[in-house]
Amino acid sequence: MIVRRFFVTVFAATLLVGACGGDPPPPPPPPQPDQDSLQRYNDSVAAAEAERRRQAEEEARQRAAEAERQRLIREARATLEEMVFFDYDMSEIRPDAETTLRAKVDILRASPQVQMRIEGHADERGSTEYNMALGNRRAESVRQFLTGFGLAENRFEIVSFGENRPLAQGSNEESWARNRRGQFVITAGANMINPPGN
Amino acid sequence: MMGWGRKENRGSRAVQARLCVLVVLVSAGPVGLVAQEDLPGVELGLFYANTYLPALAMQPFGGAFGGNELAPQIEAIIGRDLRNSDRFEVLDSLPDALVGDRVDYTLWDRLGAVWLVTGTVEGAGDGYVLLLELHDVVYGELREQGRFRLPAAFDEDFRMAVHRASDQVVTWATGDPGMAASRITFSMRDNTGNEEVYVIDSDGENLRRLTYNEDLSTSPTWSPDGGRIAFASWKTGVPRIYEIGTDGGGERMLPAVRGAGDYITPTYHPDGQTLAFTVLGSDNQSGIFTYDLAQDCCLAFLSGGPWYDVSPTYSADGRWLAFNTLRFGDNVPQVMMMPAEGGAAETLSPYEYGGGGFYAAPDWSPHGDLVAFHGRIDRRGRYHILVANLEDGGRVLRQLTSEGNNEAPSWAPDGRHLVFVGERSWGFGLMIADVTTGRVRSLLGGRRVDLPDWSPALPPPE
Repeated sequence: MIVRRFFVTVFAATLLVGACGGDPPPPPPPPQPDQDSLQRYNDSVAAAEAERRRQAEEEARQRAAEAERQRLIREARATLEEMVFFDYDMSEIRPDAETTLRAKVDILRASPQVQMRIEGHADERGSTEYNMALGNRRAESVRQFLTGFGLAENRFEIVSFGENRPLAQGSNEESWARNRRGQFVITAGANMINPPGN
Repeated sequence: MMGWGRKENRGSRAVQARLCVLVVLVSAGPVGLVAQEDLPGVELGLFYANTYLPALAMQPFGGAFGGNELAPQIEAIIGRDLRNSDRFEVLDSLPDALVGDRVDYTLWDRLGAVWLVTGTVEGAGDGYVLLLELHDVVYGELREQGRFRLPAAFDEDFRMAVHRASDQVVTWATGDPGMAASRITFSMRDNTGNEEVYVIDSDGENLRRLTYNEDLSTSPTWSPDGGRIAFASWKTGVPRIYEIGTDGGGERMLPAVRGAGDYITPTYHPDGQTLAFTVLGSDNQSGIFTYDLAQDCCLAFLSGGPWYDVSPTYSADGRWLAFNTLRFGDNVPQVMMMPAEGGAAETLSPYEYGGGGFYAAPDWSPHGDLVAFHGRIDRRGRYHILVANLEDGGRVLRQLTSEGNNEAPSWAPDGRHLVFVGERSWGFGLMIADVTTGRVRSLLGGRRVDLPDWSPALPPPE
């Protein structure tokens, strides 16, 4: 307090001395910083910075959310394309396949634009032409399972490849089990997949 | 002649009665897989009539006017054809010094020959004339002789023309048709996993590729005149039926006359006009249909519903159709037959009601009431070629193979041989079995072949 009063006094004396000479008029005094506006200025800078930070955080958050959404879409797509497998000479949906297909149902409900082709396959045993029929029956029982949950039938086309497009080439139970399958190809709406629950 | 009257009178009631018998059997016997041998009324086994094969000798063929050089080659082709006919024990490798070039009945009689074939090849214009004689050694007389025009040796019909002469010798000696002048079409998988349609002569020569679709093309089948081949291909993404000439050209597609679905397993009606095939799709459009591909009209529905009827095959008179069905369950495919215009079907394979039984890939003989198919009949779950004789109500099954896996039989034009896919420890191949003697030979080994179809007797080119 004492220091500030001293300064004020010196400043007033200087003004008086200058007024007495023939010197050109002194430059106008620099604007007296107004304590309130300075405060406002400082506040606004801080606020802008905070806003920038907030926006950056928001953007990061959105980016993360978008990345998460994309991840969920990728996951949804992978779920849609996940194969189901069948027992030997059977076209019934197995319990493990039911789980896979239920997950597809949820995605397909959330993604009404998506259409799929269901491909039925068989292992090499039996008869080549019988296996064409069996592959078609497998694809058809997958379609019936899906439409049983209220999905429109015209969203699915089916095709059988019989035993002619094996995944595994061996002539053993391990290969055969891989080859008795339903495969899924997204034929429309691949960029309009919505993860379930959105 | 074919004795169909009895079959026409047998309706579904007969089938039901038969199923009742089987129900009794299954409930009385062990539940589960009942061995076929235990079924009453069904005889199954590798039984063959004790066939006597007369010895047939080939005297070295002579030649004149430039035919000399070809004579040994023609003699070799005919000798192999006659051996492949499984109707003779062929004696064709006796030293020239022993047999000479004159017909010596006493010598051939001492060597055990019953028949003797002699031949002379004469140059004639661009080609040759083959003079063939069939001698009856026992009676010491000339039985038959014929002149056969052959094109130049480089002509693509040359071997087929010689095969036609071989078939004539078979007919002279037995009164039955031969099958040397015929081809077999089939599909074969390449290294990329694609399947294309091929043809091969009945003696294993002239392997030729017909399709270049670079996709799945399979189930090829001959038209009754031997001029066209129909098959199913996935080349547009879904299976459709196509028809091509035997040179692979002139392709046309059967339109999707029944809407979306899998169009598979084509076969021609003996009239050559109508194509029968399967459509697998939604329940109300599935089944076996016929369509006139040449006229592009006249879709007819023969059987179907959600039954998955595939692999149709006509009887020689075109009045009946046998096919494979999944209507009793996915894992118990059966062979059934119905009138060619559609109607009540009855089982032809020995269906074990409530039990196992896997029968597939029927093919109706061009002569008589025989239907060949394959079945999983041994306790190790292997597949064997079976022949059902409908004269006996389809209850006598003959098993033609006893090793490996064997699938997809198709009758030769002689009604006596069958080509099929055999799987052995060395791999897959086309094999030929003679129904009468039970002899089996390999036609094309070591390739991933499938679904062979034997042509009719091929007429000479016009």
